[in-house]
Amino acid sequence: MSDFPLPRIKDFLQSVVPFDSMEETELQRVVGLMDLAYFPRGEVIIQAGEDPSKNLYVIMNGSVRVTLPRQSGEELLIDVRGEGDTFGALSLLQGELALFTVTAQEDLLAFMLPDEPFRTLVRDNPVFKRHFSFSLARNIDAVRRAADHHTTQMTGTETLGLDAVLTGSRVHELMSKSLLTCLPATPVKAAAILMTQRKVGSIMVCEPGGRPLGILTDTDLRVRVLAAGVAPDVAVAEVMSRSIKAISPQAFAFEAMIEMARHGVHHLAVTEEQRLVGVISDHDLTMVTGSSPVGVMKEVAKVSSLEDLAGLPRRMNRVMETLLRLGGSAEYMLDVLSEFNDRLTMRLIRLTQSAMEHKGLGPPPVQFSWLALGSAGRREQALHQGQDYAVVYANVPPDREEVVHTWFSEFARRMIEGLSSCGFKGTSEAVMNDALLCCRSEAAWEESYLAWIGGGHPQALAMAAKYFDLRAVYAETSFVETIWNKIFNAIEANRGFLDRLRMAGSQARPPVGFLRQFAVDSDGGYLDRLNLEEVALQPVVEAARIMAMDQRLRQTNTLERLGAVTRLGLLKDRMAEDLYEAFSFVTLLRIARRLEENLNGKDGGAYLDPADLNRVQRKMLKESFQVVSKLQEFTAQRYAQ
Amino acid sequence: MNLWQAKLLNRATRLRLAHRHLPDEARANLSVLDGLSSRAPVLAQRYVVVDLETTGLDHTKDRVVSVGAFRVVGGHIRLGEVFSEFANPGRGIPVESIKVHGITPDNIRDARPALEVFRDFLGFLGRDIVVAHFARFDMFFLNRVMRAQYGMRLQNLVVDTVLMCRAALIEPDPYGQKKGAKRCSLDALAARYGLEVPERHTALGDAMATALILQRLLPEMEQAGWKTLGDLVRVAGVQ
Repeated sequence: MSDFPLPRIKDFLQSVVPFDSMEETELQRVVGLMDLAYFPRGEVIIQAGEDPSKNLYVIMNGSVRVTLPRQSGEELLIDVRGEGDTFGALSLLQGELALFTVTAQEDLLAFMLPDEPFRTLVRDNPVFKRHFSFSLARNIDAVRRAADHHTTQMTGTETLGLDAVLTGSRVHELMSKSLLTCLPATPVKAAAILMTQRKVGSIMVCEPGGRPLGILTDTDLRVRVLAAGVAPDVAVAEVMSRSIKAISPQAFAFEAMIEMARHGVHHLAVTEEQRLVGVISDHDLTMVTGSSPVGVMKEVAKVSSLEDLAGLPRRMNRVMETLLRLGGSAEYMLDVLSEFNDRLTMRLIRLTQSAMEHKGLGPPPVQFSWLALGSAGRREQALHQGQDYAVVYANVPPDREEVVHTWFSEFARRMIEGLSSCGFKGTSEAVMNDALLCCRSEAAWEESYLAWIGGGHPQALAMAAKYFDLRAVYAETSFVETIWNKIFNAIEANRGFLDRLRMAGSQARPPVGFLRQFAVDSDGGYLDRLNLEEVALQPVVEAARIMAMDQRLRQTNTLERLGAVTRLGLLKDRMAEDLYEAFSFVTLLRIARRLEENLNGKDGGAYLDPADLNRVQRKMLKESFQVVSKLQEFTAQRYAQ
Repeated sequence: MNLWQAKLLNRATRLRLAHRHLPDEARANLSVLDGLSSRAPVLAQRYVVVDLETTGLDHTKDRVVSVGAFRVVGGHIRLGEVFSEFANPGRGIPVESIKVHGITPDNIRDARPALEVFRDFLGFLGRDIVVAHFARFDMFFLNRVMRAQYGMRLQNLVVDTVLMCRAALIEPDPYGQKKGAKRCSLDALAARYGLEVPERHTALGDAMATALILQRLLPEMEQAGWKTLGDLVRVAGVQ
């Protein structure tokens, strides 16, 4: 029989990870090796301490509880698994006595793949191998943690298999390969004729070996040749733009976008082993995507009125959507967004200053810096999130303090209004009062920092934590550099601060898994909505902050902090990789949700309905939660006093 | 019906056919009851769950167009042991029936005659217990072919999931009011157990639905106190 006669059964397995990776015919063969078994509710399918499982079980309908019996007689809930989840792999592959008890929580219909063919699959199919060795390590880890809560195991886990999820278009798929090139010695006129014949707007200037040296564009011809009165027989090398940036053909399209945005160029040379193989322009990108970050970024600098500025974030939303569709990584997306927000803030500072001068309030009385704090300070701002900031002005004699403070308070008030009209949240009275508090002299700020470190109660520190993610968006002074040294020295004398800061953070443990429309928390309760930020991002941000400050590191970005402490040996490489993937994945999910909400014109707040997640997302999220729990245990162990 | 009666009838058939020449498959079918113990636990038995699609509901005139069957061993449906074949009824299929099972004359144009399909099905069935939903209907068709071909009816034990359902799930009906009849239909049982039945109204899809229901009825029978093969045949046996 060539075709399994019940397509729905095959379709079901085709939706189950990792069976979804199988060729049609291979899946047909494997379905033929399976049994379909029924277990009434309450039946124990695998008993901890007994013989290893003889099958891999794939749940078609119903759910099971995976528990660990304890000496005391109570059971520790490890996981709840539902449709499309598997169980039994661990003891089967290890061939050791079963570690967990698996009980049907509801009437259960499950596929059973026997021992032998399953082992063969794991041995021969790389996707199966990765999938099951991965959860294997995780499971073992879960046992160790559950068995002894105080022993932290930092080893034995694989990295999250995110690579497959985050694929998108590559540069070589979009670049133009019909290259127009010339040698550096070519006369400008000859190059212009070539461009006209081929009806293109640019020509690449390459060495005889093929290495690109620069680019000559229509604009260059106009500005640097005609307007500058240069003779048409001069060599192109004299007038070309030398700031040509190169990118690999294997790079993702979104990376090309970001490169262009970062350098403010419209073309990138695509090179392989230093040889030119193509050119990619922002036009090529916008052809497939409909919007480009370069345009929006450049626009920010040109805008001359607040009204025009306020229209830009909406365009930025479309850019983010595009990046998301192209499979942009979280790191890059946050980069682009924070670059955009910084430019917007800078522009707003200029506009506000000149508005105040127009009003006769005069220029800034002393030099100042505009600091981003919290998520903005870490360059991790989601779309339209409230922005935390501080204005730090140079110290002034006491008799001038009031005048200066009044000027900066007015400045901050106008800035907040401006930011909120650009879509950043927060114009309430509380925020306005806050505005006044956030304008202070360097000396006043320093005093606050030292007070927090010296004796801040965890409750006060919960509010103050964001001030330790500080970054200058606009700097006339070197406040940020000097304050870090003072912070580090103060911590040196007050190690207890790190633990107080830890205690001030989120103590909630992430859920253990998902069942249908619910997330399952570590006590076996069901949650119908999840605050991703609270359970998965905030703990990582907090841990990274503490570890970085412990090591006198000035990075504020969470991924950079984690990278830096890992290089110093504080975190194991594997743990760091897991964290990186977990943090990126959750961030990406969060950005996607925000965009979706913007698109639908509603604001669901920070909450996520687990029912909206697909199978892969659930799995990834579950793995992410496990990594976050481990990190929490690690910091608790290291800093608890 | 009980197992002892079934064995007695089987012995009579053997005596009657003792000197007649029989094809191998028929000779093998005569000995399928050997070694069956009425004390064997029901859950551990080997079953073949079968469903037929026909040209109509009149078993005197109508013909089989499709046979679907799954094997259930120890309560597990063996997805690799499937019997599924169209049979050529040698006549047209009424539109009413096409509407039910979706089998069109095109589907069965190249199909083998029912005789040949049944011969292979006998091989697939072996010594296992036949299970069908409203088994008498399917057995009329199967036995008509068996009698015509071999001069005997199918010798395997046959149990009916409708009877199992009535016994295990529906309260006793001493006055024969058949109040429970509708509650034992395939659709009602599928709904009761929350089963999503794939490809309903194809022979194999209905066989799968019946097998899924059997999986649930077996433990219910045990709960109700009918734990052995003898009990099962007494409660739900049709021949």
